[in-house]
Amino acid sequence: MSPSSAAGLELRQLCRQVGDRRLLDRLDLQVAPGECVALLGPSGCGKSTTLRLVAGLDPASGGQVLLDGVDLTGRSPGERQVAMVFQSYALYPHLSVEGNLDLGLKVRGMAPRERQQRIDATLELLQLGELRQRRPAQLSGGQRQRVALARALLRQPRIVLLDEPMSNLDAQLREDLRPELRRLLCGREQPVIYVTHDQQEAVGMADRIALLDAGRLQQVGSPRELYTNPANRFVASFLGRPAINLLAIEPGRQLGLRPEHIHLADDGGVAARLLRREWWGHQQLLWLQTQWGALRVLTTAEAPMHPEPRLSWERQHELWFDAQSGARLPPP
Amino acid sequence: MRLLVLLWSLGPLLWQLRTSLLRPEALVAPLREGNPWTLANYQLVLCGDPPFWQYLTNSTLVGLATTLLTLLLAVPCAYGLQKLRGPMRWGVGLALAAAAMFPTVLLFLALLEIARSFGLANNLLALSLPYAALSLPLAVLLLRAAFADLPGELEDAARLEGLGLGQRLRFVLLPLLGPALASTAILVFLASWNEYAIALTWISRSDLLTLPIAIARIGGGSVFTIPYGAFAAATVLGSLPLLLLVLVAQRSIVSGLTRGAVKG
Amino acid sequence: MSAPTVSLLLMLPALLLLASVFLYPLLRYGWLSLQASSVLTGLVPVPNGGANWGRLLDDARFWTDAGQTLRFALCSVSLELLGGLALALLLHRPLRGRGPLRALTLLPWALPTTVMALGWRWILNDPHGPINAAIRSLGGSSYGFLSTPATTWFFVVLADVWKTMPFVALLLLAGLQTIPVDLEEALRLEGASRLQILRRLTLPLLVPYLTLALLFRLAQALGVFDLIQVLTGGGPAGSTESLALYAYLNAMRFLDFGYASTVMLATFLLLLVSLGGGWLLLRRHGQGHATERAA
Repeated sequence: MSPSSAAGLELRQLCRQVGDRRLLDRLDLQVAPGECVALLGPSGCGKSTTLRLVAGLDPASGGQVLLDGVDLTGRSPGERQVAMVFQSYALYPHLSVEGNLDLGLKVRGMAPRERQQRIDATLELLQLGELRQRRPAQLSGGQRQRVALARALLRQPRIVLLDEPMSNLDAQLREDLRPELRRLLCGREQPVIYVTHDQQEAVGMADRIALLDAGRLQQVGSPRELYTNPANRFVASFLGRPAINLLAIEPGRQLGLRPEHIHLADDGGVAARLLRREWWGHQQLLWLQTQWGALRVLTTAEAPMHPEPRLSWERQHELWFDAQSGARLPPP
Repeated sequence: MRLLVLLWSLGPLLWQLRTSLLRPEALVAPLREGNPWTLANYQLVLCGDPPFWQYLTNSTLVGLATTLLTLLLAVPCAYGLQKLRGPMRWGVGLALAAAAMFPTVLLFLALLEIARSFGLANNLLALSLPYAALSLPLAVLLLRAAFADLPGELEDAARLEGLGLGQRLRFVLLPLLGPALASTAILVFLASWNEYAIALTWISRSDLLTLPIAIARIGGGSVFTIPYGAFAAATVLGSLPLLLLVLVAQRSIVSGLTRGAVKG
Repeated sequence: MSAPTVSLLLMLPALLLLASVFLYPLLRYGWLSLQASSVLTGLVPVPNGGANWGRLLDDARFWTDAGQTLRFALCSVSLELLGGLALALLLHRPLRGRGPLRALTLLPWALPTTVMALGWRWILNDPHGPINAAIRSLGGSSYGFLSTPATTWFFVVLADVWKTMPFVALLLLAGLQTIPVDLEEALRLEGASRLQILRRLTLPLLVPYLTLALLFRLAQALGVFDLIQVLTGGGPAGSTESLALYAYLNAMRFLDFGYASTVMLATFLLLLVSLGGGWLLLRRHGQGHATERAA
């Protein structure tokens, strides 16, 4: 099977360069129909850039965007049948909820009856019927997000893009909305790309995560893959909270140990001294001084605590990296 | 403090009001007897030939035409400038700022030549051409700042929904620019209402004079023969529309200039 | 079509009109200034090999006017900046009736210059104006404010300040509104007095606005025309004549288009030099400030 006949969305060697700044460097990524891929990374890593290239809002400096094998690269945003939910929701402030939904259909010349039907159906689906006459300013953050979602779904898009759609909501609401968002978006025919800087959200929403840094794809895979088998030091330290401990045990190599993989032992292992403990209710985070520097260790909240404990871990949890490049190394 | 400021700003205007309501004899010396107040000055001005309202109409016509033309040219220009990147954007912005500062009186001779060779003299609508040009730099700078204030994602959303440039302007951007458009329009209208040098040289037919020229003509002649009462009445009549405009639009003038100044 | 092309196309109509109204006249003056074009030539341009420029260098009236214009501009602009700043500070404070107060103080700026120039002529009238009436009632004798060069000059400046100070105040008010209240409060918590806040915080942050107002007003004041034409006609004895008025007289009264163009172009050049000089002065002053703060 030739790669161009693959169903779903495919980004091939996608680049974006502005002046001499390389925002995105030869990104290859495939999103199957119905699959939700989260683009994750720190701010400025190129995740929003990627989204804008897929939508056609910015021109690519190189590479292709293919949908079901058809090259979209030269097409205008309006022709791509892409729906996007923006971070700010980008609702038209001067139009009512209904007007926001209607504008795109109207300029496409759809008949009023059909427009009304579609709008009614979508408002129903998102339980927005009561709010149809309100202006965006009169809506809560969660309601605005639902309207933005409604506007995106209304046009039966072939690709759905979400740009940090929850970052303007408070933490509780974010957690509550995740299942609903998945129900509405994922598992249909369209490929979904979900951009976020929040790893919890990425893990909660996506089938696979593509982790970006400095315009380059670092690793793509299921959340479990990325967590247990990180391709390099960046992936290992970006995922997981509290962050992984990196110990310069040998010259040229670093040992990565996740805080939850270190045990307190009575004897044997490595000597340590307790610096501080943070009590989190169900767990506690210990800051321990060792011969390689300070370590974070996560234990159960009720674990008995010796002021000078010994530390041990299992070989299978050791992650080794090149001290210079950060590349993953086989265990010694 | 407030009173002092008001006295300074309004004193001269109130004196005009008083003058316009006094009988000519009462201007020169306090009357010993009889009522010094009269509306005769207004009557004189309103029933002159051409009647005073003619100048008001002329100025209004020029002002409206200028405002319309300026906005028509400035909106696309401001949008284009806002989208432009690189040295061109910088260059055009600088040129506009320089043009906005340019003392317009220095242009009148060449403009007069243009008017004569194209037969534009004594034509009120044609007068709005140079007026629009004089107002354009400021209008473009103000509107560009307003475009820059709109969140970029709004236009992106509209592009994704397939709205073309014209549709985006009409359905999304311009409705949101309402306040900026209003304050720009007011500033343009004011500038056109008050312009002197070009109107002085382009218009010679007395029924086509704009207000500043007409009032200056009433006050023409020598220092000692000015019919001050009639002139003051004309001033009051000519100022009333502006007074109303400024009172109503004070907020939008201030906010319009605020934004323009920040970005300009 | 690429995005920059669309941008340029959108800007084209406006830029064309601007070029024909701003750029063309300057080029035209450049050409005309090298021609004899007056009643003597029947207003037909005849090249005269730069004679206009030679005449300009020897024209005492031009240089007197240049000095007078510069003096007028410097005096009225500095008064406007000071008064405008005071007015802006007043209007910025939360007062009762601030909205209407702002509108009313703005009024002088909104009225046609010529109208108020005539108004001033009446107020300063000898002997019937209110000022002279007041002087007489105090036992003095009336005074020809507009017939003595020294006082005339002063009142021309005054009328200009009266008219344009509100505009400067408006610009500075805009600047004041951009200063976060937090900053002032932080300084107040450290025990700074009002004057210290003004000097250490408000004024430094207003510098961009002061610069803008200064440059803009300086350019306008150096081109002053309608105020002087109506208020004094340049008199008495040419003591208030500005360069722009001189250029106007050359064109419309003496009908010497060639020389009028020369005067206008020279005025424009003087304007550029003054603005450039002012700009450099500000920059140097600004750098001095920065090093002082760093030290």
